[in-house]
Amino acid sequence: MITRDFPRAPRKSGGTRPLQATILWLAVLGALLLPGMASAQTVNPLEADPRAAAAGGSLYRAQCATCHGADAAGIQDIQAPDLTSLWSRPGRTDASVFQTIRNGIPGSIMPPHSFTDTETWMLVSYLKSLDAGSNREQYAGDAERGAELYDSYCRRCHRVNSSGGSLGPALDRITASRSKTALQQAIRDPGTSMARGYRPVRVVTGDRRQYRGTIKSEDAFSLQIMDESENLRGFRKSDLISIQYEDRSLMPRFTPSALSDGNLENILTFLAGAADPASH
Amino acid sequence: MIKRNLYTLTLRLILPLCLMLFSATLRAQSSGPTYNDILAGFENPERWLTYSGDYSGRRHSPLTQITPDNVRQLRPIWTFQTGTTTRGRGFETTPLADNGVLYATGSNNYAWAIDARSGRAFWQYRRNLPGDLTYGSSAPVNRGFGMLGNQLFMVTLDAHLLSFDRRTGEILWDVVLADYQQGYAATLAPLVLEDKVIVGISGGEYATRGFIDAYNPETGERLWRFHTIPGPGEPGSETWPDDPAVLARGGGGTWMNGSYDPDLNLIYWGIGNPNPDYFGDLRPGDNLYSNSLVALDADTGELRWHYQFTPHDLNDWDSNHMPVLANIEWRGLPRKVVMVGNRNGFFYVLDRTTGALLLGKPFTATSWARELDANGRPIVLNDGSKGCVPDPWGSTNFMPPSFYPELDLFILTARETCATFVPEEPRFAPGQASFGGVVFIDADQGYGALRALDVHSGELVWEFTYPSPTFGGVMTTASGLVFAGDHEGNFMAFDAATGQNLWHYQTGSRIWGAAPMTFMLDGRQIVMIASGTTLTAFALPEE
Repeated sequence: MITRDFPRAPRKSGGTRPLQATILWLAVLGALLLPGMASAQTVNPLEADPRAAAAGGSLYRAQCATCHGADAAGIQDIQAPDLTSLWSRPGRTDASVFQTIRNGIPGSIMPPHSFTDTETWMLVSYLKSLDAGSNREQYAGDAERGAELYDSYCRRCHRVNSSGGSLGPALDRITASRSKTALQQAIRDPGTSMARGYRPVRVVTGDRRQYRGTIKSEDAFSLQIMDESENLRGFRKSDLISIQYEDRSLMPRFTPSALSDGNLENILTFLAGAADPASH
Repeated sequence: MIKRNLYTLTLRLILPLCLMLFSATLRAQSSGPTYNDILAGFENPERWLTYSGDYSGRRHSPLTQITPDNVRQLRPIWTFQTGTTTRGRGFETTPLADNGVLYATGSNNYAWAIDARSGRAFWQYRRNLPGDLTYGSSAPVNRGFGMLGNQLFMVTLDAHLLSFDRRTGEILWDVVLADYQQGYAATLAPLVLEDKVIVGISGGEYATRGFIDAYNPETGERLWRFHTIPGPGEPGSETWPDDPAVLARGGGGTWMNGSYDPDLNLIYWGIGNPNPDYFGDLRPGDNLYSNSLVALDADTGELRWHYQFTPHDLNDWDSNHMPVLANIEWRGLPRKVVMVGNRNGFFYVLDRTTGALLLGKPFTATSWARELDANGRPIVLNDGSKGCVPDPWGSTNFMPPSFYPELDLFILTARETCATFVPEEPRFAPGQASFGGVVFIDADQGYGALRALDVHSGELVWEFTYPSPTFGGVMTTASGLVFAGDHEGNFMAFDAATGQNLWHYQTGSRIWGAAPMTFMLDGRQIVMIASGTTLTAFALPEE
């Protein structure tokens, strides 16, 4: 007897952090610590505060992402530039980015903005956290050792500079788009952070063939996956005996004993270098 | 202590070992279709690996599940919406099929990998195109991918050649073919050989100089370039004024795919109009190799032979057609031929080893010329000054024809039109079109037809007429069917022997520059056509 078994996808529970509260708190902090701070200030007063980038990120998503893209990589159609490597341009400073946000760019679509000084510095902090060039400084490991480790542990499933496997996402810009903490966590426990398009599934076809892979697309009647051999496969659900959605990423856990903190840092340092256009 | 060590051992050695084993259990990665698979053409019924299905350009599939008897039951099984429109032109792609996945390019340099069972996309690609496209903005089309191994190849409206990873849609390399700001663009489906990707260029309406290029599939490095307009002093330059500036803007686009004979190792490619299109006074002479078919050595790009269909063209009758290769019995002897239904209104058969003309005969009512002289040159009766001649879109165009070997029929879409050309000296500037005049088309006198020609005589065997001049391509299947599309949006099936219409489906938008393709999937024959913003799959009802 053929049993049909289509367990429903478990829903992720909501766990968003109270970002607005963070912003408010920082605004209060700013008001207390920076009385009378002029916009001519040349040093980001929030530079040392790790919460500034996160708060700037939510401002960014609300106010800037429409033109510059959710990933800040720019939208060419409307000539909105890539903001992820601002600091790699000559003469660029925290203060010049501050001024551009404040004053806009006359003659272009980029308008002046009336953010408070604190908010503007938060945005500067956020943009700087995205910047591949400045990000690189956060990673102090051995990039060469990292490259070797990357080759043995990661390359089978991930690509850097168009080389490597396709089962997982490309990692060229990963250090620019995600925080160091998030990356460390994703490597230690991948199950908690599956990127869209990489959710694992296991199917059994009517003729008892089994495929495991990641879901690229799905509707009520069909399922499109990349299987573990990197073949794209489409199925009509009516042709399947079972579909098992898996909660854990296909990526194995890299515990501290399997991959020491030092070696994890080495891999991230290698990836940060790969993301830096100057290193190409 | 021992316990502690064991624990450490487990973590230090066994865990990485497990990880390695995990990696090892992943099956060997798919390497994708090889050159031999493309060479085998239709041998594997589940594949369609190159623009025409095989290198011959015949677009004749051996599949026989859909027949003249059951084609009436043919019905759509899914539609894919591209989400992008094609201002002024058509959705011209031929998808490639491999292992249940379709790889299709779209207008405005979109591209997709699509599940052939459901029409759902695995991935989508969209190129960020610059805002100042030249030719690419007036014809924002693309005709399809080339494929080799895990790579796909696509040309772009800003005149680049891209290599994709077919599994992810990621760009592997990106090389510049020419400077789009001068007037160049690219729209064809790359022709992939064993170790080369062959592409051509659009832009003959601008002050450009056409070429055919070969690239290394792995690196994108250019291997050779054939210039379609000779340089000063080179062979062919005697057919132009002695002026390097005229040659440098001589046109001769190569914007439609070519075909390939692996035994002769020759590439066959059509060359476009000279520039300016309509104003010939600045370029007295035959203007080689405009409006010609060229045979190039695939290894070196050297010209082996050429045949010029329309010397000193004044009507924009590019010869950018799919050259159709066949081995047929010609006047009692086996002969390797190449066949072309030309924009100038003639059907041609040439010996493809030597370029010798075997047959040239009009397939429309054109008043431009009715016969060729002993040297294969058209005897021009009306250069446009004695009443109307076919319009600049021509008596047919790049929409692929089909050759049905068992019936010896060349089946193509014919356009009967009436146009008056008013030439005018253009100004030449980079990125500015230089047609050299205007054209008035008498729409009332236009119509289209699907025509089947006897390849031995060029005589019309049957036709099916359409209300307006048509741009739909043609495919035949060995079951005795012809599939074709028209300007009113119908996708249709005909009896190949008689031309009787057997089935039609209104797609909702004109079928323009697209031709059908077919393949087997789970034991079912699928037929595909691109139309408007949709790609539609057809099949017989499931039992």
